[in-house]
Amino acid sequence: MFRIIKETNIDFIGMRRKAFVFSTVLILLGLTAFVMVLLNKANMGIDFAGGTMLQGNFAHEINIGDLREAIASGGFPEASIQELDRTDVGVFNSFMIRVRETTAGDERAVNKLLNIIKERFPDNEFSKDSEHTIGPAVGESLRRSAQWAVIISILGMIVYIWMRFDFRSGVAATIATLHDVLAVLGVFFILNKEITLLVVTALLTLAGYSLTDTVVVYDRIRENLKKFRKKGQFVNTVNNSINEVLSRTIMTSLSTLIVVVVLFFFGGEVVHDFALAMIIGILVGTYSSVFVASPIVVEWEAHRPSRFK
Amino acid sequence: MKGQTWRLAVTGVLVILGLIGFWNTLKLWTLSESDKERMEEIKPGSVNELERKAMRLGLDLQGGIHVVLRVEMEKLDEAAKKDAVDRAIQVIRNRVDFTGVTEPIIQKQGNDRIIVDLPGYTDAEQAEDIIGQTAQLEFKLLETYENAQMILSKIDSVVAEIRKTDKEKGESETTAEAEPATGEATPLDLEAEEDDILAELMGEDSGDVVDDMLFDSEENPFTQYLEPYLINDKTNTPWPGYMVAAKDRRAVEKMLEMPQVQRLIPAEAQFAWSTRSVIREAYEVYYLYVLKSKVQFLGKYLERIKLGRGQFQDHTVDFKLSGRASAAFARLTGANVDKPLAIVIDGKVESAPMINSKIRKDGQITMGGGATLEDAKKLSIVLKAGALPAPVEIIEKNVVGPTLGSDSIKKGLISSLIGLTLVLFLIGIYYRVSGVIADVALIFNIFFLLAVMAGLKATLTMPGIAGIILTIGVSLDANILIFERIREELRTGKTVRAAIDAGYSRALLTIIDSHVTTLITAGALFLFGSGPIKGFAVTLFCGVTLSLYTAVVITKTIFDIRKSYKTLSI
Repeated sequence: MFRIIKETNIDFIGMRRKAFVFSTVLILLGLTAFVMVLLNKANMGIDFAGGTMLQGNFAHEINIGDLREAIASGGFPEASIQELDRTDVGVFNSFMIRVRETTAGDERAVNKLLNIIKERFPDNEFSKDSEHTIGPAVGESLRRSAQWAVIISILGMIVYIWMRFDFRSGVAATIATLHDVLAVLGVFFILNKEITLLVVTALLTLAGYSLTDTVVVYDRIRENLKKFRKKGQFVNTVNNSINEVLSRTIMTSLSTLIVVVVLFFFGGEVVHDFALAMIIGILVGTYSSVFVASPIVVEWEAHRPSRFK
Repeated sequence: MKGQTWRLAVTGVLVILGLIGFWNTLKLWTLSESDKERMEEIKPGSVNELERKAMRLGLDLQGGIHVVLRVEMEKLDEAAKKDAVDRAIQVIRNRVDFTGVTEPIIQKQGNDRIIVDLPGYTDAEQAEDIIGQTAQLEFKLLETYENAQMILSKIDSVVAEIRKTDKEKGESETTAEAEPATGEATPLDLEAEEDDILAELMGEDSGDVVDDMLFDSEENPFTQYLEPYLINDKTNTPWPGYMVAAKDRRAVEKMLEMPQVQRLIPAEAQFAWSTRSVIREAYEVYYLYVLKSKVQFLGKYLERIKLGRGQFQDHTVDFKLSGRASAAFARLTGANVDKPLAIVIDGKVESAPMINSKIRKDGQITMGGGATLEDAKKLSIVLKAGALPAPVEIIEKNVVGPTLGSDSIKKGLISSLIGLTLVLFLIGIYYRVSGVIADVALIFNIFFLLAVMAGLKATLTMPGIAGIILTIGVSLDANILIFERIREELRTGKTVRAAIDAGYSRALLTIIDSHVTTLITAGALFLFGSGPIKGFAVTLFCGVTLSLYTAVVITKTIFDIRKSYKTLSI
């Protein structure tokens, strides 16, 4: 038997106070980001906020500063310009330009951008690879459907957990899951990453993933509680349960982490932020299933005993 | 043992079904470019046929245009609203069919939106024209030159009046705001100043004098930009068609938009711009016409529309008329010989050719100056398909170039293969022979997933590929749970056989629990997600569901091939 982890006996529950401090910071960060999203002050992607994305490549090398200056003085001072690495497919000097506008005066923002580039860099031909224009109305409806997707999936998960476990576990699992989602949102906010539809998708996916981790631990706690119905053994049982499933937790996280890390490095621009959100989410989710979900139940039990009467 | 036979049989059937579902896709993916060429030679259209049978690729992977339109319902009355969107879809479908795009998707979204997906089509400008143009074709007569001139001179005096009062109100602020027209016409400013002095010297009566000065911006603020050009050489009559320099167009439009000016234009007359600009004597100009508002004839009666050539080898769109429409058109043209007839499309004048003689059956739409063959083609397409019941607004447009699409496929493929290989190694090394069994199950999982997607004609998108990659990671969870459990059972001293059985039965409930949570998310994303996100939800949902079968049933079947174990490599 080849084991990374020998039989462990780590006192995870004993570390819960430190973990709570750390998690509180994560949650506060996430809540700040969430409020910013609600107030429309976060860095929302054009699929939610409306706007224009233009992607293409120049024939010759170009300084990104010059390009930025040209676009800004051309009437888009808040444009976000990003150089894309597509050298592996033989495309050089590739750029992505994003603006909040869909129109500029009489013409469409895409054409305006193309005209600015043509005027300012007449000797450096720019060929368009793709463009994406999302009107504010579409952004609004995408935002609404994203909200529904979040609400329905989180409600669905809570209902399922409450059906399968007791009320307390349900609450604790929900907190742990929200904790992970908020943590990733917070990190994205700090990194000033755009919140796009795909990032929201990643948030929901990792919510499901993190809940899975928590469920596995709870299943084991429940099973062990049936076996050892001894008074005062609650903390020990929880600790043992976490230790017992630890190797599973690590192996599953590792195999999922491997694929999303690969996706992050080789998957290209479209799924880059998706993969980043998943990486952070898997790390935080693994942490929370051990350090957040079960300790909450322990704390609750300590203050209001229910199981061992 | 009976259960074992069943499981083998079911798996066998699934594999065969999977192969059937996946066959065409597999064939297409493994064909090289030269193979495809050879296939085309033997049987033209066979590659297309194969592509249709294979798994659909999303626009983000194969390139193409995605457009979301909003039908402007508020411009319709209640009765027309009822099926306006459906009629618009029908019209757009017809138009798209004429362009020859294969496998377009045209569907209704919500109450007033239409999604149009044109795979493989990347001419964004043309697509927009063909899809978004209302294409309301009307034939209108022009006002008489005298009437038009009267309206123009009234506009001149009103605009001049407004300017004067504005100027009196405050020199600095109002000029910048309300008179962008004079601001743009810089060369004339000097003259304007001179006139001011002139007017002051001569007092009120100076009006007549300055009226005669052709380029007086003070007294002719409107007509200074207009230069008559339309004249019938045969009868030597002028018609109200004017040239306006492209740079001055905005100034003229602004004046026409003024409410005071709007009031001057009688209900039976209207101003209309030409569809395109033309180059006249090295200047880019637009034409501005004064039309009679009454619609003389509607484009919907046109039949058998095709491209043609006019008398000067210019592009035309030819049509035929029959029955009552033909009689009506003959009456209209017969009564107006030697007068121009404006061909108005969506409020813009394509051209205003002179009617040479009565037209009964065969008509010809002369394309305006500056029109290319492409313009004529577009017009013939939209006329053939008919007008949209209401104007549409493009609210979302996504154009993905074909190179970007193939680039994404390559990246998706590379990251899938690397991810898969790494994970297969990890599990194989960590769980030894049992790990290899799980690896086999994982490969089955991916094969079934692709087969189901191909069979369901689901669309593969880049987020969908991400879903497959995620499935690789998540679906192993079931096996990890089982194997860890078996290890624990072995440690308690159970026999290998008993440990395997206990491992499977005890882990099962947990496996189901953990899968359900992922399925809930995937379901919610499927219900509310759009396009690419839906692709992600579909792959994740199918992948996770299938992993229940592959990771539990298939691995158990493999373990059960041997009845008794002395040791287990796990």
